[in-house]
Amino acid sequence: MDREAQRRLDEVRKGRTELENNAIDELIAGRVSRREFIRFATVLGFSMPALGVVLEACSTSSTPTTSGNIKKGGRLNVGHQTPAGAMDPILTNDLGRLTILGQCGEYLAWSDSNLHLRPVLATSWTPNSDGTEWTFKIRQNVKYNDGSGPMTVDDVVATFKRLADPTVTGNNALSNFKGVLSPTGVSKVDNQTVKFTLDAANGNFPYLVSSDNYNAIILPASYNGGWDQTFIGTGPFKLKAGGYVVNDHVSLDRNPTYWDPNNQPYLDGLDFKFYDSEPSAILAFQAGSLDVYTQFSVANGQGLLTDPNTTVIDIPTSAHRQVHLRVDQPPFNDKLVRQAMALAIDRPTIITGLWNGKAQLANDHPLFKMYPSSDTSIAQRAQDITKAKSLMAQAGKASGVDVTLYTEKVQEIPALAALLVSAGGQIGIRITLNLTDSGTYYDRYWLNSPMGITDYGHRGVPNTFLSAPLLSTGTWNAAHFANPTYDGYYADYVKAVDLSAQKAVSGKIEQLLLDETPMLIPYNYDFLTAVKKKVSGLETSGMGHMNFRLAGITS
Amino acid sequence: MLRFLLRRVALALVTLWVLSVIIFLASHALPGDVGRRILGPFADPRAVATLDHSLGVDRPLLVQYLTWIGGFVHGDLGMSLSFHVPVSQLLLRGLGNSVKLAAVAFVIVVPLSIFGGIVAALRRGRLLDRIITVGGLSATAMPEFVTSIVLILVLSISLKVLPISVQVPPDADPLTQIYHLILPSLPLVLVLFGYIARITRAGMIEALESDYTRTAVLKGLPWRTVVIRHVLRNALMPTIAVVATQTGYLIGGLVVIETMFNYQGIGQLLFTAVSQKDFPLIQAGVMTVGIVYLGATLLADISYSLLNPRIRLAGRE
Repeated sequence: MDREAQRRLDEVRKGRTELENNAIDELIAGRVSRREFIRFATVLGFSMPALGVVLEACSTSSTPTTSGNIKKGGRLNVGHQTPAGAMDPILTNDLGRLTILGQCGEYLAWSDSNLHLRPVLATSWTPNSDGTEWTFKIRQNVKYNDGSGPMTVDDVVATFKRLADPTVTGNNALSNFKGVLSPTGVSKVDNQTVKFTLDAANGNFPYLVSSDNYNAIILPASYNGGWDQTFIGTGPFKLKAGGYVVNDHVSLDRNPTYWDPNNQPYLDGLDFKFYDSEPSAILAFQAGSLDVYTQFSVANGQGLLTDPNTTVIDIPTSAHRQVHLRVDQPPFNDKLVRQAMALAIDRPTIITGLWNGKAQLANDHPLFKMYPSSDTSIAQRAQDITKAKSLMAQAGKASGVDVTLYTEKVQEIPALAALLVSAGGQIGIRITLNLTDSGTYYDRYWLNSPMGITDYGHRGVPNTFLSAPLLSTGTWNAAHFANPTYDGYYADYVKAVDLSAQKAVSGKIEQLLLDETPMLIPYNYDFLTAVKKKVSGLETSGMGHMNFRLAGITS
Repeated sequence: MLRFLLRRVALALVTLWVLSVIIFLASHALPGDVGRRILGPFADPRAVATLDHSLGVDRPLLVQYLTWIGGFVHGDLGMSLSFHVPVSQLLLRGLGNSVKLAAVAFVIVVPLSIFGGIVAALRRGRLLDRIITVGGLSATAMPEFVTSIVLILVLSISLKVLPISVQVPPDADPLTQIYHLILPSLPLVLVLFGYIARITRAGMIEALESDYTRTAVLKGLPWRTVVIRHVLRNALMPTIAVVATQTGYLIGGLVVIETMFNYQGIGQLLFTAVSQKDFPLIQAGVMTVGIVYLGATLLADISYSLLNPRIRLAGRE
């Protein structure tokens, strides 16, 4: 580091908190990678100029993405999953709706495909020393897409009080805010500042007010329902007159009052066409009726992966299949049997066969390698049939055991279930399959079965994966796993605001889960979007957000 | 005739009432909680409970049935639980789309298959008869999703002669709308052609072999007159019954074709309603299909009785 770089770095350090300086120290010492540093610094609320100075001083560079020669104007036809219900931010729980919300509404921050947070309606944020209070500076002079506004701190406060309120009908944000934020914890400091006083310390709180929490688009304080009539928000697009037909399509026009003068949308508008069936959407894309198909599976979209006229945007995500092994009932009440089952699985072959390589190896815990806080030094579990048979013998189950595997007929899950049957069969775990529709699985079997496969969507941070399915008090604890040591590790993880402290706890969690094996996680899979070659500038995220703001048609 | 009509209408109303009870109980027997279906499996239990209460699905079943049927009788179909819009709005659009698709399919398949059946009967045992009967049966046996994909790949993606997009702007002229509906109609034509043609052929053969046809021929009537005035009138009665019973299928049973072509008809709407456990939408949708089905059957009965007086007079005996 030269003297000038050191001087500028010192200048940046002066204005930073102890936590932020600690993060800089970690980067300089090489204990965290550049990627990990950027991700963590954005959580702590580093401004972009400050981040740039630190990275430059440490001889790294950050090149912004350019959109190429996109022409102004035009509309895109977008094939999209049919929304599962009313278009209402608070009810939203599916890709069909969250993608639409993100065109007309915006969040305090955007969680990008690398899990970095980018300021949007907040300009910066900082935690207190123990992560129990987070203070956000709110962007000024932002208008809503109906021309009203400007958006105020009162709007932000009202939005989050509503999202944290358990008495609000159908409030889907509660699963994120439960035990984290209560309505009384949201307060206005001044006309530019909002303070969140948390129920408990949380080092990853900014993700809960970002696009990762898709319910959290900022709405006017006066909002009282009926979003599907107005599509109100501060986003780059607005509802075209008469443009929403339930279950059929949504047409959006460019928002002429969009707040960012340097990043006005190129497109005149977007026409979202809803599809219930993936094959029919893929056929429509191939026939040229669609310019973009927001998400496709490897199973149905092999043709798109090799189509020379199609660009596939491939985003690794933390979405995964969780195979729970119920620890309080035979046969998986013996951890040797659980470990044996885990050792019987050939993960690389599964990834190749089911995902054509479009998935990442996972290690039977939800601290995926994509998370900067994961401890990647923990060895990857690999297939070892000899050891698995030995474990079965040690458990006194050399003659084998019988178990029923319950799951849902969704995407590749039945195929995964069949591969588990085959894997178990090699070591004497005789698995009988019970495949049902999703509704029946979640209503009857999910939390009451000896073995099951559950589909978990993407999360920008692993907190939810580590709590709901694994804590003794976890509401999605299908394995009925109750381990006080684990519960203690989780508490340490959540309150760790410092990255090295998070990594230290992560290692313990990963070791413990590998030993106890309450669940198998063979892979986390990619989010695939098909785009015609003429389209450029589309940014996607693991959550399923589509940022069309800087997308357009190339000349 | 009036008495015959009144008796049929009364029977239809009783059938509808029985249908209302069955569909109400069946939809409530679907597994799972409505609030959880709407909010997703990972929703907070408190959110699910408040939503269930606001939707009224936590009330006793009898109260829910009486509220629903009372509204239905007065033309109030309620609000969709999933989409928060009036059920009538969704149903009218779905029904309208289904009727359009069914009409185009009918216009193509009914004359074509009746003509095919007549030709096959008149050329009985010859090559043309074999082509029509075997070809028609083969087409009927093919699943709709297979024929749909093949037709899309050939006519829309490879040859580009018909558009894959079924939905056209609402202000499009009727010819444009029909043009967009031809492709999804073709799998229906393939399914129904063989069936209707074979029924027509069988009716024709029976009529051709009857005494009254022999008498007409022996009277010296021209063959064309014999076929049109004596044979067809009797031969088409089973065909009318078959075509009428296919109306219910064409209006409410096209889930596969509507899904393949992403066409928002009543079949796809019902499928969505069932997967969402959207009671008002399921119940009103099934009742609508039931009304269409009974209406078509009633029309068939009337046509049948007009062609065959023995039917309408049978009740007096």
